[in-house]
Amino acid sequence: MITRRNFVTRMAQGVGASLMLPALQHCSSQPHYTAHTAGANAQLGHRLRTMDFGKPTSSQQTDVVIVGGGVAGLSAARILKKQTNNFVLLEMAEETGGNSLGGSNALTSYPWGAHYLPLPNANDPELTAFLRESNVITGYENGLPVFNEYYLCFDPKERLLINQYWQEGLVPREGVPAKDREEIERFLSMMHDFKNKKGSDGREAFMIPVAESSQDPELLQWDNISMEEFLKQHQFASPYLKWYVNYCCADDFGSSLADTSAWAGIHYFASRKGHGANATSDAVLTWPEGNFWLVKQLRQPVHNHIRTNTLVYTISETSQGVDVTCFDAKTNSSLVIHARSVIMATPQFVTQRLLQTPRVIDYKTFHYAPWMVANITTTAGLAEKKGEPLSWDNVFYGSQSLGYVNAMNQHTGLSGPEKIITYYHPMLGADAAVLRNQAYKTTPDEWTNTILADLKVAHHDIEKYITDINIWIWGHGMIKPSPGFMWSDNRRNAGRALNKKIFFAHSDLSGLSIFEEAFYQGHTAAHALLTES
Amino acid sequence: MTSKRDTAASFEWLLLISVFVVATCGLIYELVAGTLASYLLGDSVTQFSTIIGTYLFAMGIGSYLSKFLRSNLLSWFITIELLVGMVGGFSAGVLFILFEQVVYFRVILYALVVLTGTLVGLELPLLMRILKDRIEFSDLVSRIFTFDYIGALFASLLFPLIFIPYLGLLRTSFFFGFLNVSVAWVVAYRFKEDIRAYPRLKWSSIICLLLLATGFIFSEKLTALSETLTYPDKIVYAKSSPYQRIVLTRGVNDWRLFLNGNLQFSSLDEYRYHEALIHPGMSRLKNPENILVLGGGDGMAVREILKYPSVKKITLVDLDPSVTTLFRSNATLQKLNEHSLSSAKVSVINQDAFVWIRGQEKLFDFITIDFPDPSNYSLGKLYTTSFYRELHRILAPGGCLVIQSTSPFVARKSFWIIDATLHKAGFDTQPYHCYVPSFGEWGFVLAFEKQPEETYHFPNGLKFVNEASVAQLYNFPPDMSAVESAYNTLNNQVLVNTFEKEWADYTR
Repeated sequence: MITRRNFVTRMAQGVGASLMLPALQHCSSQPHYTAHTAGANAQLGHRLRTMDFGKPTSSQQTDVVIVGGGVAGLSAARILKKQTNNFVLLEMAEETGGNSLGGSNALTSYPWGAHYLPLPNANDPELTAFLRESNVITGYENGLPVFNEYYLCFDPKERLLINQYWQEGLVPREGVPAKDREEIERFLSMMHDFKNKKGSDGREAFMIPVAESSQDPELLQWDNISMEEFLKQHQFASPYLKWYVNYCCADDFGSSLADTSAWAGIHYFASRKGHGANATSDAVLTWPEGNFWLVKQLRQPVHNHIRTNTLVYTISETSQGVDVTCFDAKTNSSLVIHARSVIMATPQFVTQRLLQTPRVIDYKTFHYAPWMVANITTTAGLAEKKGEPLSWDNVFYGSQSLGYVNAMNQHTGLSGPEKIITYYHPMLGADAAVLRNQAYKTTPDEWTNTILADLKVAHHDIEKYITDINIWIWGHGMIKPSPGFMWSDNRRNAGRALNKKIFFAHSDLSGLSIFEEAFYQGHTAAHALLTES
Repeated sequence: MTSKRDTAASFEWLLLISVFVVATCGLIYELVAGTLASYLLGDSVTQFSTIIGTYLFAMGIGSYLSKFLRSNLLSWFITIELLVGMVGGFSAGVLFILFEQVVYFRVILYALVVLTGTLVGLELPLLMRILKDRIEFSDLVSRIFTFDYIGALFASLLFPLIFIPYLGLLRTSFFFGFLNVSVAWVVAYRFKEDIRAYPRLKWSSIICLLLLATGFIFSEKLTALSETLTYPDKIVYAKSSPYQRIVLTRGVNDWRLFLNGNLQFSSLDEYRYHEALIHPGMSRLKNPENILVLGGGDGMAVREILKYPSVKKITLVDLDPSVTTLFRSNATLQKLNEHSLSSAKVSVINQDAFVWIRGQEKLFDFITIDFPDPSNYSLGKLYTTSFYRELHRILAPGGCLVIQSTSPFVARKSFWIIDATLHKAGFDTQPYHCYVPSFGEWGFVLAFEKQPEETYHFPNGLKFVNEASVAQLYNFPPDMSAVESAYNTLNNQVLVNTFEKEWADYTR
């Protein structure tokens, strides 16, 4: 029984109706909590299926339309802004940010999605330039970037609850038999070799951006099998190792060992080569609100070009350029924008519905993992098991979830007993559509029970200290790098521009839903547009 | 025939085992009382002697009283066992809680010792009378005393070696209470046909066991409730603010302030610490006007700073309003800091220093940092390159700052990490140390852009720092001298880990 939870105001559902459970309405002692479903405008997005928008009542003219205000769209806008003022970015939701959104309350800001950026590799000069512009990189020493110390993840960083003990770091160690520890060592050293490996074409084997990875067929063949199969082929059987690698795949891709391409799985361990003058390559950059901070830096210079609450529903080529028809949810009217070219910074399951030009793409191979993210406010110090104190990332061995992140870890001030923790739960499984349905159908009460059952393993008394639980369902949280997908012609072709008029930019075109890929997709498309059209 | 002899034998054994348990428990209660008395009242020789004497004397009373119990001996024996278990088991817990509440603590202590002793003294005579018809007298005496003394040996060895280190005082006492009551119950069960009052005894046993088990489980909370073990002197003020536990004690000749159990100062020698904190740096500046004090809510550092007439404004930033209010309102404490916090030159800001400094633009001629030692990650943030860079930003040209930097003797590496961190943040430094009797050897680091000239203009009336003594402060003997050190950042917090280890090694 949930006793002392006191749930905050519901966030607006955009145009949608309240999802408050009838059972909760008549009983004031019952908890009230907020359920966000697939971002604030899921209802609006779902209208793409019915297309009941009415005829456009007005029209506009511009050079470039960017469709979609996630990281890829904002990154494209950043490049365009350096050359022209004649562009507009259309976003369906109430604000830009995609799955890097965040929120805030009196206590702190907190993330709703992506929440950290590993030290960037040196080979994306645009990314480094952006980080320099936003003072994340404060300068250079001996050719290495100096990172802003307020943005490098503070210590203590990571802890894992295993065998009733909070160990430092996430690689299982505490109470793990010697045999398993050896296997973990062997695996990590194999990954280390992949990190330093070069392909037959002389390029680095595994790189971020993915596009710069070696095309050596020897390496690409790992895409044909699953990470599970890879472990089997190399005689890795330790349950501790499997849990760890599965955790890593879930963390970065929202997919399990069985449905992650081995190439992507290795990429997780072998692609991060960033260094700083004041940080090692395992360091990460983070903010209380997670990558929403980066989003705010990206959108600030282009905010005059952003139009939110605007759902694009058709994109058709004309003799002069491209017509973008969209629905303004605020005025409840449609309009058409005549543009010379368009950047579609939308995921392919959306692109498929908007784009009138036929393409030979099998959209069905693009699978998206659903996620549940919860922000939980607690009032007092939680009961703690022995070992490391509350850290930035707190993970439970053997759990289905990814554990939680302490949103206040990056605060410089002494924190009081109140905390906000952000709890991450990717829905792992082969059939994303079924899982997505399940995620939407699960009631907030049921989600709360699942979350509490998991958290109580670490903090048995957490329930009585919780004052608020906010739940957000990401229906299409992340592109899944399923076996065979990463290096399929299908993925590569989906990113090809059409007739020098329509350009594509989204992390799903990279196959990995990470900030660096979205950012890369955005600026690459924008540069291509500026040179080609 | 055989079965009857077996029954007789098992009966005898059961009672002898209970002699053993009773003897063990009896001695444990005595040891618990003695230990507790020396913990709480000090002077262990006196406490142990008087407790043991009183206890043995009370046992004599018990033995004497035993003759007044004429019938239902078995039932009486069990009842007394239950009482001993309860009184003995709860004695430590009761004494812990009462120590802070009650003026006549000694009276209660000795009353409990007398009560336990009397009850324990009743046990053996009763047992002997119960067994006297079943065992020949010479055998009886020999066996009972043998088991009694073996039990005593058992208790006196296990108490210091196993029970105190692993269970602690409170749980040990509850544990043996539990054992005592268990014996009572087993004996009662074994003779339930012979005892008319069996149902009553059974339920009493169950209730006693439950109470003792509850006490055992919540022992830790009880210990936490009682702060008395932490403080040698009398607590005159105790308050929990949202940030820390503030405790003021009064000893025979001094006052002491503790924050979260850590000594902040003793009124007897704090002048050494605060003079050393302020004057080696401040007296070298030409007409310092704007001064910043971070931490130091007791107003002692401010008292020293006010000795410079050139000072126009002192900004004191201390997180905890409970501390600054206490030192601004309590008469004794105001006498200690010479009403410094009420000076018109002083403005007190109760805010987190890191948050405050990031929004600060004004420059300061002299900055004093008197934070608690870096014993956890939150405090560790105040000793990082990031924090020191903020200090660098608000230090006026030609100014300097000083940081209390823990003990270079106990935590040598930690001390030099602080020094290295200041260098990394762009400062030049001059580390120094002094001896404060209540603290031990204590360290400070003076930091500046350009070293101020070593001409001191000390104010009058200093008791510790003068031209001659200040020269000695900069000299670090080989056991405290500089060691190669990493620097502390928000993302490595090397200082916290080092500090924890060094103090743990020292106090182990």
